Amino acid sequence: MFTEELKAFRRLGFRHVLLQALNFASVIASGLMIWKGLGLITNSESPIVVVLSGSMEPAFYRGDLLFLTNPVHERYHTGDITVYKIPGADIPIVHRVLETHDAKYRGPLPAQNQRLLTKGDNNDVNDIELYRGLDYLERKHIVGKVRGFLPYIGYVTIAMNDFPQLKYALLGGLGLLALIQRE
Amino acid sequence: MHSLYARVNNISALLSSCVMGLLAAIALSSVVLSMFEAPLEGGAVLVKGVKVVHGKGRAYQHEHAIVNFEIDADLTPLFNWNTKQLFLYLDAEYTNSKGVKNAVVIWDRIVRRKEDANIHVDSRQKYSFRDVTGFRSVISDASATYTLRYNLMPHVGVLVYGTAGSTNGSVAFPPMINHV
Repeated sequence: MFTEELKAFRRLGFRHVLLQALNFASVIASGLMIWKGLGLITNSESPIVVVLSGSMEPAFYRGDLLFLTNPVHERYHTGDITVYKIPGADIPIVHRVLETHDAKYRGPLPAQNQRLLTKGDNNDVNDIELYRGLDYLERKHIVGKVRGFLPYIGYVTIAMNDFPQLKYALLGGLGLLALIQRE
Repeated sequence: MHSLYARVNNISALLSSCVMGLLAAIALSSVVLSMFEAPLEGGAVLVKGVKVVHGKGRAYQHEHAIVNFEIDADLTPLFNWNTKQLFLYLDAEYTNSKGVKNAVVIWDRIVRRKEDANIHVDSRQKYSFRDVTGFRSVISDASATYTLRYNLMPHVGVLVYGTAGSTNGSVAFPPMINHV
């Protein structure tokens, strides 16, 4: 079965392989550019996130895709849904703002001087236990504010995390296709 | 060109762009609908009583407010075909004597059906209402505005925020009760 393919591969020659590798690299590079460009526009380190837990049900379920922004000059309000990341914790958390506290502050960015307390809609208590010793969240811990919502689409990444075989099969298949495709 | 692979590729590309187009249309439709729908009639928020007490244990230095309130609001106009749920919350906003601006959610409710969107609540707060500053009597000479807000969550699209009602003016905090 593979002898045929291998023969085709040999016939196509070294230059073709190089060209395919270049194509592959340009696809990856443009993907990365779009991601980083979005990050620049929205001022968020990850402008699109996948919901990983059920703590915001019934608003968000596992696998829903969220679009974030994080404007520098804008305060956060109660009721906003934020994504935050505590230093030392590796998973960002999607929860709603329960309290905001703005201390008196004369500086260039008053909106940055804000303390927040969050809570998951599906949790009974607030998030202080999740803050690893902090009493409140600060703006530097916040990744962004949820603006838009697309259901289910992100489940692919969760499936790939839960079943690593799927990830390798998909990557291997795509790589093979990219190499042996002749156009 | 007419291999099985090419056909599968074409069909799945067409299918996914159709689904994306449909979702975009639904998301847009709810924006357009919200422009034409009847404006929300002002809901009523009435604060019936406020008490300020010491916290318990470690929180002794912090002032805690206990609020009894009544809410009357009709939020049915917010439900259209792209409404997944309403998140309703009662927000207390005040500036304490240390100049800290605070907004604290003291009550919330998730409304998932249009039939449940006519809200009558007479209750005490759900979450603790604690002043952050942590020195005595920073809250006593302040007064708070209580506002009923909503967050409309769509099945797909943009999250919408709004206000459904508020107290008439602000409600002053009484002096702290020292013997609890």
